[in-house]
Amino acid sequence: MEEEHQDREQPEIVRCSEPQSHCSPDDTDSLKAAATITLDNTSPAEQGCGTEDPPPCKLDALQEISSTNGPSEPEPEPEPEPEPQPQPQPQGPGGEGPLEASSDQGKVGAGEENGPSEPEGPAVEDDQPENASDSASTDNTLEDSSEFVVTVLARGSLEDQGEGPSSELSEASSPAQAPAPSHRDEDVTAESWRRHRKHVFVLSEAGKPIYSRYGNEEALSSTMGVMMALVSFVQSGDNTIRSIYSGEHGTDEHTVVFMQQGPLVLVSVSCSRQSEQQLRSELLYVYNQIVSMLTQASINRIFERKKNYDLRRLLAGSEKILDGLLNLVDSDPSFLLSAVHCLPLASSLRDSLSQILQKAITPNLVFSILIAKNQLLTIVQEKTVIEDARLEPADLHLLLNLIGASSAFQAGEIWTPICLPLFNPDCYFYAYISYLDPPDCTVCLLLLSTDKEAFYAVADCKRKIDEGMRTQNALRAIAKAQSYSASQVGVSDLRHFMYKPFDVPDNHRQLTQFTSPEMEAPYSSEEERTRLLDLYRYMHSRIHSNSRPLKLIYHVAERETLLAWVTSKFELYTCFSPLVTKASAINAITKLLRWIKKEEDRLFIRNPPKYSTTPNPSKSSRGGKGGPDRQDTTDNGFLSLL
Amino acid sequence: MKVKYNIDIVASSPLRVIKRRVSRAMPDSGKMKKPDVKLVILGDMNVGKTSLLHRYMERKFKETISTIGGAFFLKQWGPYTISIWDTAGREQFHGLGSMYCRGASAVILTYDVTNWQSLAELEERFLSLTDTAKDDCIFAIVGNKADLTDPKVLEVEPEEEGTGQPPVCSPPTVSPIVRKQVQREEAIALYGRILRYKLQDERSSLPAERMCFETSAKTATMWTCCSRHCLTWSFPPS
Ligand SMILES: Nc1nc2c(ncn2[C@@H]2O[C@H](COP(=O)(O)OP(=O)(O)OP(=O)(O)O)[C@@H](O)[C@H]2O)c(=O)[nH]1
Ligand SMILES: [Mg+2]
Repeated sequence: MEEEHQDREQPEIVRCSEPQSHCSPDDTDSLKAAATITLDNTSPAEQGCGTEDPPPCKLDALQEISSTNGPSEPEPEPEPEPEPQPQPQPQGPGGEGPLEASSDQGKVGAGEENGPSEPEGPAVEDDQPENASDSASTDNTLEDSSEFVVTVLARGSLEDQGEGPSSELSEASSPAQAPAPSHRDEDVTAESWRRHRKHVFVLSEAGKPIYSRYGNEEALSSTMGVMMALVSFVQSGDNTIRSIYSGEHGTDEHTVVFMQQGPLVLVSVSCSRQSEQQLRSELLYVYNQIVSMLTQASINRIFERKKNYDLRRLLAGSEKILDGLLNLVDSDPSFLLSAVHCLPLASSLRDSLSQILQKAITPNLVFSILIAKNQLLTIVQEKTVIEDARLEPADLHLLLNLIGASSAFQAGEIWTPICLPLFNPDCYFYAYISYLDPPDCTVCLLLLSTDKEAFYAVADCKRKIDEGMRTQNALRAIAKAQSYSASQVGVSDLRHFMYKPFDVPDNHRQLTQFTSPEMEAPYSSEEERTRLLDLYRYMHSRIHSNSRPLKLIYHVAERETLLAWVTSKFELYTCFSPLVTKASAINAITKLLRWIKKEEDRLFIRNPPKYSTTPNPSKSSRGGKGGPDRQDTTDNGFLSLL
Repeated sequence: MKVKYNIDIVASSPLRVIKRRVSRAMPDSGKMKKPDVKLVILGDMNVGKTSLLHRYMERKFKETISTIGGAFFLKQWGPYTISIWDTAGREQFHGLGSMYCRGASAVILTYDVTNWQSLAELEERFLSLTDTAKDDCIFAIVGNKADLTDPKVLEVEPEEEGTGQPPVCSPPTVSPIVRKQVQREEAIALYGRILRYKLQDERSSLPAERMCFETSAKTATMWTCCSRHCLTWSFPPS
């Protein structure tokens, strides 16, 4: 079915590739983007000669270098050479080499908007990251307070521990940094702490620290206090802080995004150059992961009763899950795409796995999920429940993270309450979690029931599943399943891609999926992988920009060329070697789409099977989004402890 | 050692086979062998419940991470199947406690001898969870991490399971000694209160001296079972 619409769409691409030359506004625009990204590009090299070991900080490290023009910075790197390189680029659209040339057009759908109406000259935003200009409109309500906020945060929250002599001290000692023992024990006054690529803080409305990605929340309470002061300062003026951009001319560019969810305030302080929208959606994942452990209803109720409750009492021990989530968010594009990645599997095998799951049911069981290598193998769902609501990718991401982040599941059979925030933020499911291949622990079974007492019945389902797997020798077959390599597509110059269809029949309504090959050379190192993901994130932010969404972007970066394309049927991101031409890239995409079409049955879960446990629908699972038992909201018991 | 343990269980609970709960979950074809005894480990987070279980199941001490919900284990002792719930101590999971305890024949209340609050929590938070346990449920109170408080303990005995493996953990000779916050007498007093709470007759119940003990999951020096009557993990007879 892809066939015809490709034919339909393809000429459009060609058409839009032609007017390249007179697309100047966007061109300069993307050039700047290329500049920021180039800046990013050079960093791994820099990284290599630095003293720093944690890789995620490279962007900061680089900013350190480019800030050497300022007097304040002690020279940490031996070669400031590459620093001037990114700087002149934005101003000199004509001066760069052919590979640096970059162009992207929105001709397919958004072309009109960025025609002549786009006056933003280079002068306006010479050092701004691309996304800053995109979302600048969102915080214009802040007016003068934003200026205040920026200064306070730049000086205050990010450095509040380090002002004065102590900061000099820590900077002086930074070359000799010992490897951080654990993120929790990190010295929050140290330069290395500040240099983390992305900080995430969670605090209560009363300003009580709840979580910090790096360093111990206790030590950061003054920082959190500053943030809370900001939030309430702006709230008092009937505004809500959404985001702040700081940094003078590229020295220390940070995006600070605030999000309030009920009684919780989440803050992201990042120099990853992601769009505000992306950072916001990441914060929402953090919030939802917290909800998945406590439920929204309980969180709200707790703070209604006691404004300054210390939520860490309930989250103690769960920091690892939030840490794991943030690492995944940074490294796994599933979160960016809001789609689920399933492990490629012969459809016959996937079907037989589904059947095994389908046969092992018990009343109140609503989802049976099989996971391998942190990817979905199959998911089988209770009929009546999915008629009411569907399992959102985000909920599945939270589940996958929970399982991935915790080796606690590798022993015994786990029975634990878990809330799926998008399915229903106020109720618990009860999750049975057990690995099917004990010592190896690669294939994980997850059974979700609405009945708290159902453990033994559900555990018995697992035994049936075990048995079914054994008779079919399914574990061995699963072990052979692998992700694939971009080279298997058979398109030269294609290095990597991410394809998210909107039109898999009978499927998208239940579960949005995407497929993507393994990241292979030249993206095999951590740094390179991050770099590619950053490029994708940049493309994604352009495609999904609120102010000026684009349908097609052809982006020539320094070391690769990317093409992103969104249609009514799919969203596609591709990465080519830099030598590709526009024509051959388009040709390659046609081939790629054809290949995906051919492999569809293997790459996606096509027809998620259903079962019915209705003989005893009991108290649960019917009625609107009501899903799990309502009464279980209060039933986790900890409320009584307040 | 194992065999003896085995006999202990039988001796202690000839009639304690959990029928109702378990058989409900077990259809005829049930592949899960019907557990004969259900044992639950309760206690505040970080006191070492999971570590104790590791020590018991695998005879070693390894790094743990905080338990989520509850972890269910089946252990075969000769003809008997014991089900064990290693529960999470975190408040977050408090609500499930009574489910784990339902029909339990034995409850091990665990505290950390270096943390007084962890003993207090047993009474404040965990005891009421055992309301769903059997009326004649056996209680044991275990003070863990004794290795932290008493350097002599470390010298007393090496690994004595005789499995031939080198000890997993050599005694931490240089580790600083932590002040012991809970005396065994306090645990014994708590044991008395528990019996009263459960309306069990103190005279016919297992004596506190046998049911309250201090141990270390880490060094395993005291990690054997000895009691003639009960399902406990306790000091070796000396
Ligand atoms: N020194 C010493 N440390 C111990 C001992 N037992 C456990 N620990 C340590 O105490 C910490 C907590 O142990 P766990 O067994 O995970 O505690 P838990 O009671 O299962 O905790 P939750 O699952 O959160 O309820 C770990 O870091 C263990 O290494 C012990 O006997 N001696
Ligand atoms: Mg534990």
